[in-house]
Order: sequence, then C-alpha cells, then structure tokens
Amino acid sequence: MRDRPSGFANPWFQLWLSVLCVLVSELLLKRGATATAHLAENWSWTGVTGLASPLVWVAIVFVIISFLSWLYVLKYIPLSVAFPLSRVVDVLVPLSCWFILDETISLRRWCGIALVVIGLAVVAKPVARLEERL
Amino acid sequence: MTWWSFVLILVSLIAFVAGQLLLKHAMESTTANGFRNAKVISLLSCGISCMTISFFLTLGLLQHFDLSYLYPFQGLSVIFISVAAAIVLREKLTLQLTIGALLISAGIVLVSLS
Repeated sequence: MRDRPSGFANPWFQLWLSVLCVLVSELLLKRGATATAHLAENWSWTGVTGLASPLVWVAIVFVIISFLSWLYVLKYIPLSVAFPLSRVVDVLVPLSCWFILDETISLRRWCGIALVVIGLAVVAKPVARLEERL
Repeated sequence: MTWWSFVLILVSLIAFVAGQLLLKHAMESTTANGFRNAKVISLLSCGISCMTISFFLTLGLLQHFDLSYLYPFQGLSVIFISVAAAIVLREKLTLQLTIGALLISAGIVLVSLS
C-alpha cells in the first residue's frame, strides 16, 4: 500500500472507474441486445447478431476500459480487497435497471441488495481507516 | 441439473478465479520488471486465456440455463477469490474481510434468486 499515485492515477479512483464502466456496458448491452433480438433467429443464440447494434460496440469500448483500469487496480490493491469491492456492481446494476430500464425489484432482491451493501461497508471500513493513517 | 453441467459451472468458476489470480500476480510483477518481460507477458496471457475460457463456458451455460440459476455461482466467486488470494498470493485475510466477503456473496445469491 505504499507509493500510491493520486488524482486520476489513484487506484481507488480507478476501481470506481472500472465498476462504472462495467455498469454502463451492462446497460448498453441490454439495450443493444433487445434492439437486435429479432434479427436472424437461428444465429441469435451466439450473441453475434448483437453486433448490428451500435450500442453494443460502445459497450465493448466500455468493457475494454474497465478491463484496463481493473489491471491497474490489481497493481496496487490486494485482490481480497479489490474483488469484493468490485461487486458493488451487483448492487448498481439492479438499481440502474430499476431507474433507467423500468425493471421491477422484488422484496427478496431488495434484501439481497441490502446484504451486499452491508458486506461492502464491512470490507471498506478497515481499508478506509488504513488509508487515513498513511 | 446433470453432473456434467455442474462440472462445467465448476470449471468456469475455477477458470475465472485462476484468471484473476494470474492477472494480479502479473500486475504485481510489473512493479519490478515492467511490461516487456517474459514472465509478465506469459502470466498476462495465461490470465487472459483463463478469463476467455470462463467467458465462453458461461456463455454456453447461459444457452441452457437461466441467468438467475447461474448467477448465484458468480456470487460464490467472491468467497473463492478471497480464500485463493490468501492461500496462493499470501494476502492477509482479516476477520472483517472474511465477514464482508460472506455477506456480499449471500447478498448476490439473494439478488439473483428473485
């Protein structure tokens, strides 16, 4: 945890960037896949028909960015901290689907989201304290 | 579920965990060696290969099972990765990290069940 760059190069910022890029790509992929679902039914199971949607191409760019920033994160943050924190995406995806795509969230899913948030807080808290001391 | 599909789920999960460990190890080596190094390049390519195998196995499984059935296994990856990082990469697994990983996994399973 030494020699940590600040600003854009800060690994915690990059972790957020990676997560946000995954989130955006998932939403774009869902939109793009829905838009192209009617094309060539005998090929649709491979997913390649999705490439007909420009949204899918933009999503691929976001996937690449998220992968690169994730590699950068791995350089600085222990995997046992970074990976659990990256699962914040499992909270953000259903919430965004609810906000943006008008999907519904069941009571059981709300409970799951709450559990993940508590788990994230438990992982993040000692890390935040450690960061303050440095 | 047949035992064969269970094997496929397990293999894709193991490939995912192995991929993350290899990528982490590769990126740690770049601090000392930089990117133009045989060890770093081979680790990175092994990591990316593992991730690719896991990606296509998951894609294949998705053709036969619902996402809500397969996603809980993704939730388990949090526990697997934390344990593997502690054993293979010698990362310090504190009590708080363990509890946090368990809660996150349980939450992901709940989210995907509904």
